[in-house]
Amino acid sequence: MFDQLPETFRSFKLNADVRTLLQLRQAMDKGLVKTVGDLFYVLKGLVTTSPTDIGPFSKAFYAHFLSINIVPGEPLEEAVIRSDTFQEWKDKLEEDEKIDIPDIDLVNQFLDEVHTTSYDIKNFLSGQDILDKRDPDLEDTDAPIDGEASDKTNILDRMADYRDVPLEELLKRMREVAKHQKTRHEGGDYWIGQGGVSPYGNGGAAAGGIRVGGAGGGKMARAAINNKDFYPVDAKAPLRDDNIDAALAALKGIEEASTDIILDVPVTIKEGLKQGGIFLPIEKEKRQQRIQVILMIDNGGWSMSPYIRIVQKLFAKMKTRFAHDLKTYYFHNTIYGGLYSDAARTKFEDLDKINIQDKNYSVFVIGDADMAPYELHRNSIRDWQKLNKHFKRMAWLNPMHENEWYGSMTCSIISQIFPMFELTPAGIEAAILEMNRKRNFQ
Amino acid sequence: MATDTMWTGSEKYLCDRELAQAFHMARVIGMPLLIEGEPGTGKTELPLQFAQDMGLDLFVYPVGSKSSVEQFVAKFDHVKYLRDSQVEILNAQREEKGMKTKLSTGGRQTENLQDYVLKGPATKAFSTPNSVLLIDEIDKAPREFPNDLLYALSHRKLVMPESGEIIEVKEENMPTIVITSNREQELPTAFKGRCVYHYISFPPKETMHEIVEKHYPTMNDELQDKCINLFYQMRSLGLERAPATRELLSWIKYLNSFKKAEALTKVNRVEGMGVLIKNQKDLQKVQTRLMGKNPNNN
Repeated sequence: MFDQLPETFRSFKLNADVRTLLQLRQAMDKGLVKTVGDLFYVLKGLVTTSPTDIGPFSKAFYAHFLSINIVPGEPLEEAVIRSDTFQEWKDKLEEDEKIDIPDIDLVNQFLDEVHTTSYDIKNFLSGQDILDKRDPDLEDTDAPIDGEASDKTNILDRMADYRDVPLEELLKRMREVAKHQKTRHEGGDYWIGQGGVSPYGNGGAAAGGIRVGGAGGGKMARAAINNKDFYPVDAKAPLRDDNIDAALAALKGIEEASTDIILDVPVTIKEGLKQGGIFLPIEKEKRQQRIQVILMIDNGGWSMSPYIRIVQKLFAKMKTRFAHDLKTYYFHNTIYGGLYSDAARTKFEDLDKINIQDKNYSVFVIGDADMAPYELHRNSIRDWQKLNKHFKRMAWLNPMHENEWYGSMTCSIISQIFPMFELTPAGIEAAILEMNRKRNFQ
Repeated sequence: MATDTMWTGSEKYLCDRELAQAFHMARVIGMPLLIEGEPGTGKTELPLQFAQDMGLDLFVYPVGSKSSVEQFVAKFDHVKYLRDSQVEILNAQREEKGMKTKLSTGGRQTENLQDYVLKGPATKAFSTPNSVLLIDEIDKAPREFPNDLLYALSHRKLVMPESGEIIEVKEENMPTIVITSNREQELPTAFKGRCVYHYISFPPKETMHEIVEKHYPTMNDELQDKCINLFYQMRSLGLERAPATRELLSWIKYLNSFKKAEALTKVNRVEGMGVLIKNQKDLQKVQTRLMGKNPNNN
């Protein structure tokens, strides 16, 4: 059951590997996992690394441990009702008495039980005071759900407690259950549960009129599934307003090492002591973060117009957040001897003038590189090469999809001069990685 | 480490169930807890209140853009070392000349390299059993900082510079480590893999009532309802920087300095916005959307 865990979770684009299993095992050894609800929390802590992981995580968890597979766009409730796990749970519930509640309401109960943690149970056990001041309007709902609901001890008996079950035993049981789930029909015991003992409490806690956990994990998990706030931004989608922050985060990767020289105090002292007290200053390069960016934007053709605003917004945001130095140039399709420093393309700047600037600028060229073949003649290619020779860190960002690049002759020529990336958050990140690599090896 | 019980908050701090669970888990398996969430939702408060409530020693390392693992773990004071070594030479010369008085090195000995190690919060926490260590706003750090921390965090062992002294902590004495982040930059995956992650979701209205109750137990109910309603209304406006719990509490503090009736009119007139809204555009939005509705205000 656990062997495939990293694989399943990875298929949901989550980070899970052997380390996750080891950490989970450690948590189990320490007795943190006694119920499915516990397992959900522990794994969530170990696997998720950002709020946008919570949605995929909840889905992966339901799929892996409860065989609840949510079809895209489908509400969680429907997927739950479809699943065998739920049906088995319901059958079990109905063993004693026929229940006359619509499935959709049972789903809530089912989810609450799935997410019941050992902490809830502990609260429940020690929570005599909670029992005493039971909420009157909750009591009304008791009777129809389960006739024996008021029999508290009974509920507790049925509430699984795995505290004393050794880990190996637990794993063995899980494996058996996994086998059962493959052959189906064995019925009765599902997942961690065995015989009449189920960690879900089998109509226990919730039916007892006390919502152990209250607004707990069940609610959260439900909120996470199908809510876009809990889903990762598609880093491969073209740059838009709603993924601009992801692109901005990628841009933060541009780091600059300047070459200020400062006194190396520790080495100076060490050497001085070796020399018997004669201190000769020893210098070293001071590294500090500096971000210098030049943008070269193709604002000529209609093909580029949808992207210009978003690109400018992106880099303007970058400037206010963390860049110190941002210059923007414009061109139409390609360059002939220079670029323009204004968007209307009236102020021409000679290439030689641009090329005497600090070679440590990170240069992004943004354009589709698609034009009539005669436009990109030899001189123009030479101009691009000149730029590329001067600025060590230069990348081309193309709003066109990568598949289309090679359909355009001019585009494939330019992509031989510059490393070319898609104008998507993922593409920008790749471009910056490439630039940083260049810096390290130059 | 007292890990058998789950800490669920103190008199002044309401630790929601999910956070309590994640925190408990981190303590039990001895991993740092990484908390992310909107600013002003009590990320930093958690370890502070926990340490205070449990009577544990607390060490705080506020991270900045110049943070380095040296400051965090330990630094060797080269300048002092240089000074003392010069003093020794001087003293020897004085002795040669028969002078009695000696210059002091403040009890430090140059042979004893440990005397020159300035211990940072990490070392202090690791040498105090069962302490609490807070690494605040790690997202402000230079990119390599989180990676540099990895070794220390996963080996329960710190090596002091120059002196080579090793500070080691037993698993059961491992300090409780809490790391907070505002997600201003993505942390390395390897780093996150070594932490228990928790994202604080913004508390729903009911919880907010409980939080306010904890801070201002004597507050008038009507006033409290009004404040919280208005606060959630503001959050639903889609402001650039929506006010969070911290802002609400400061606003209530301001309102509490008035008598009830006066405070109520202030709420009705949406006054004291300076603590809630920190952005000119947002302020305009609030004024047109919320104050426009209000007949008391023309």
